[in-house]
Amino acid sequence: MASTQLTDEELFSELKRFGFTPGPVTENTRPVYLKKLKKLREEQQQRGSRAGKTRNSGAIHSSSGGGNTAGSRPASHDVTHLSSSRRPGRKSSVLGFSSDESDAETPLKRKGLNQSRRADRSPGFPQHPMIRPTTPSVATKSQYGATLNSNNSSPGPGRQRGVLLGWGVRARSSPEAEGRDYDESGDDDDNEGEKEKNSRSLNGCGASHLNTSKLAGDYSDSDEEEVGGPGVGDQQRERLEPNVRRSHTKAEFAYHVVGRGSQTGGAARQVNPPEGLNMVGNRREEGEGGEGKRRDSDTPGGLRSHTVSPRKTIYVSLAENHGGETGKNNHVDGEDGAYRSSRFAIGLRPRFSNYSSLSQTYRSNHSNHTAPNHSYSQAMLKQKLSVPEDELLQQFKREEVASSGSFSAHYLSMFLLTAACLFFLLLGLMYLRMRGSGSSEVDEVIKSHPFGSQFDELYNKTEKDLILKLLLNLHDHLAQVAGQYDCGDQQHLNRSLSMAEAATYLRAQNQEFDGFIETSLEWIIRTGQDVGIRLTGQVADDPLTDVSEISRLESSHPKMPFTCRFRRAFLTVISRVSLIAVVVGCVWSVVCYMRYRWRREEEETRQMYDMVERIIDVLRSHSDSCQENQDLQPYLPIPHVRDSLVQPQDRKKMKKIWERAEKFLAANESRIRKETQRIGGADFLVWRWIQPSLSCDKTMNSKVWQGKAFPLDRRNSPPNSLTPCLKIRNMFDPIMEVGENWDLAIHEAILEKCNDNDGIVHIAVDKNSREGCVYVKCLSAEHSGRAFKALHGSWFDGKLVTVKYLRLDRYHQRFPQAQGCSTPLKASSLHLNTTGTMNTMPRLHHRGAANSSGFS
Amino acid sequence: MSTTSQKHRDFVGEPMGDKSVMALSGIGEILGKKLEQQGFDKAFVVLGQFLLLKKDSDMFTEWLKDASGANSRQAGSCAQCLREWCDAFL
Repeated sequence: MASTQLTDEELFSELKRFGFTPGPVTENTRPVYLKKLKKLREEQQQRGSRAGKTRNSGAIHSSSGGGNTAGSRPASHDVTHLSSSRRPGRKSSVLGFSSDESDAETPLKRKGLNQSRRADRSPGFPQHPMIRPTTPSVATKSQYGATLNSNNSSPGPGRQRGVLLGWGVRARSSPEAEGRDYDESGDDDDNEGEKEKNSRSLNGCGASHLNTSKLAGDYSDSDEEEVGGPGVGDQQRERLEPNVRRSHTKAEFAYHVVGRGSQTGGAARQVNPPEGLNMVGNRREEGEGGEGKRRDSDTPGGLRSHTVSPRKTIYVSLAENHGGETGKNNHVDGEDGAYRSSRFAIGLRPRFSNYSSLSQTYRSNHSNHTAPNHSYSQAMLKQKLSVPEDELLQQFKREEVASSGSFSAHYLSMFLLTAACLFFLLLGLMYLRMRGSGSSEVDEVIKSHPFGSQFDELYNKTEKDLILKLLLNLHDHLAQVAGQYDCGDQQHLNRSLSMAEAATYLRAQNQEFDGFIETSLEWIIRTGQDVGIRLTGQVADDPLTDVSEISRLESSHPKMPFTCRFRRAFLTVISRVSLIAVVVGCVWSVVCYMRYRWRREEEETRQMYDMVERIIDVLRSHSDSCQENQDLQPYLPIPHVRDSLVQPQDRKKMKKIWERAEKFLAANESRIRKETQRIGGADFLVWRWIQPSLSCDKTMNSKVWQGKAFPLDRRNSPPNSLTPCLKIRNMFDPIMEVGENWDLAIHEAILEKCNDNDGIVHIAVDKNSREGCVYVKCLSAEHSGRAFKALHGSWFDGKLVTVKYLRLDRYHQRFPQAQGCSTPLKASSLHLNTTGTMNTMPRLHHRGAANSSGFS
Repeated sequence: MSTTSQKHRDFVGEPMGDKSVMALSGIGEILGKKLEQQGFDKAFVVLGQFLLLKKDSDMFTEWLKDASGANSRQAGSCAQCLREWCDAFL
């Protein structure tokens, strides 16, 4: 565009075309506008070329294509023209290919996708080496070539590449290069499918092409949400399909790409409706494709290396937004995992997470499948079936998987818990059983006895056995008796057996026992060990020495039935546990109570202090008002104070607090004195505030300037001084002012503040104004402006001073004497003049302050 | 407003009258000389240019950069100064 040829009018109109309304084009503004025009044109070209550039890695064809198609057109219309030119061609090819599609998807979608793809792809075609030239693809290519660049020798892969590039790789040229190398492994079917899709999409969404290209550009740059609403949501979705397919072909897995693609497309479609963000769906598709690829990579090991690189190329660009999925994908393969992580650098977080979880589910189902792609396609088909269901269902499935996992975990924990409980139970039972029954000892007793070797020498075997058996029987019987007795069985009145009963029993057992009873008992006595039989004589606790002294036999190992044992043990445990619990409960309740009490105490103390403060405030204010108003008594009856501070409904509650407050005041407050006064004939305990008021400081801060409240700038002050007259507000309070010459003090103060400005000629204090107005006239507007700056927004005597300009004539109306003033006033002169006055001023002020202290 | 310079405040505070172009905020001696060479000897001429460019700050800064070799900061400051002046007095 030769800028020098443009006349002013042309420049004007050109700028207008860009939507920019320029001012008049003069000799000065001309270069600026030319620059602007150039910038606008570049922007447009950039927008168009961005699509083209990303479309083709080399970006040669894009530019050339752009140039071809839009040679004479302004750059801004390149893309649109391109797309529009491509559209009609696409349509026909799309229709031609629709029959080839084994996919169940509607041709409409493909159309849209193809159209969108077209613009991207066509420039790219010539660049890519032909991988699998197929006749239909060639035909298609020729069609496209007619509209676009004519170097489309490699329709399939080229297109794929174009698609790939156009879709995801827009931002990346390097991956594209790699992908290009990889093209050789593309599928024919995929090529066709892609072609169809591409053409269709391009046909379908010519308008969306710009958007998509933009989106693609944005896609690489920004998050998925960037996908604005081109209004062709379907088309965008359809875009997914070719992308998916393309990715599939890229991966060049032998599986049924179409089927898978359709599935994924379906999945994409299913997924997309809720969001309408095709980008998102695309990404998911990409992820899905990636997933599928990865899975498939398991099977064809040889292909894996191939797949990795192209995948990488493809997905690095595509997966910018798939970052979220990195973790999820890691489980597949180390290699794949790494790849996946690189792939899913950025991602559709919510959608993709759903998807990946779903795919993970499926993956887990098929992870161990080394079946051919066919089976995988089966899985994909299955997936497709599920996909048609709602996204929620997918989520639900994922949750199922998750829940099953957790379910097993839950079971496991339950199982462990039960096992532990059972173990301990068994242990306890065994213990009880051991304790309860001495049956295990039976054989032992026979074999080993505590009687020593003497026993063995004295008697022969049969006798020994007899004796031992006798003893055993006796022991058992006694144990039984004791057990029954212990268990509450009232069959036996006594825990022990008398000698006679024992002898009877033993004889009943075995006649041969008879002779050995005493010997065995003798042996028991002889041995010091506890054989389970305790022999007691007539007098308890006497060591027995002779058999004849034995009167009762008792078992020291009572044998109780198992249930009895268990019950006793249980009861023991329960009692002990309850005892401990009771103890703990007591301690805890004590602690709680203490805490509660402590808190109550704190609360009460706080309330007491609060009350004290209020009392002090009341008394102080009362004394202040008493000073003002001499009619009031300077003391207050205590009950009156209480009733004024405490609400009637709280009086009962606050009684205690009030009393504490009273005591506190009596003890700790020196400014309040308690006295008894007679009020209205009745004696009252009163409080008197005895602190003299702190009114001295009032004189100190009167009539001084105390700084500026805000800096003066254009916002809060007129930019220039308008008149030489100022009206200053809020410099004093006429009610509060006491003294003779406070207005002179005001004069003085103003002059003091503006001592650098020697242009003030007249000051008038309006003593009666409620607003505390002071009128100032200056020599000129400039002086007044300076004075304005100095005074406006300052603090004076605790009041914020504001200034505004007055009209000169009004000022003269008001103060005719000011008309004649022309000599600047000086503060010092005033000061000198009024030194006498000034000396008296402080005293006056002091007196006034003393008077006004009551006003506080 | 604390980011404005004293020059800015001085210029914006009152009608420019016959002020030299160097009274503009951001325009110093060198830039002022350059502008004068091009015929912009008074501040109101530069104001004229500003108004011709429809009070568009971007355009004006572009023009100023081209015409005087000002950098972005200086041009921006001048544009802001003129804009505020216009707000106050136009």
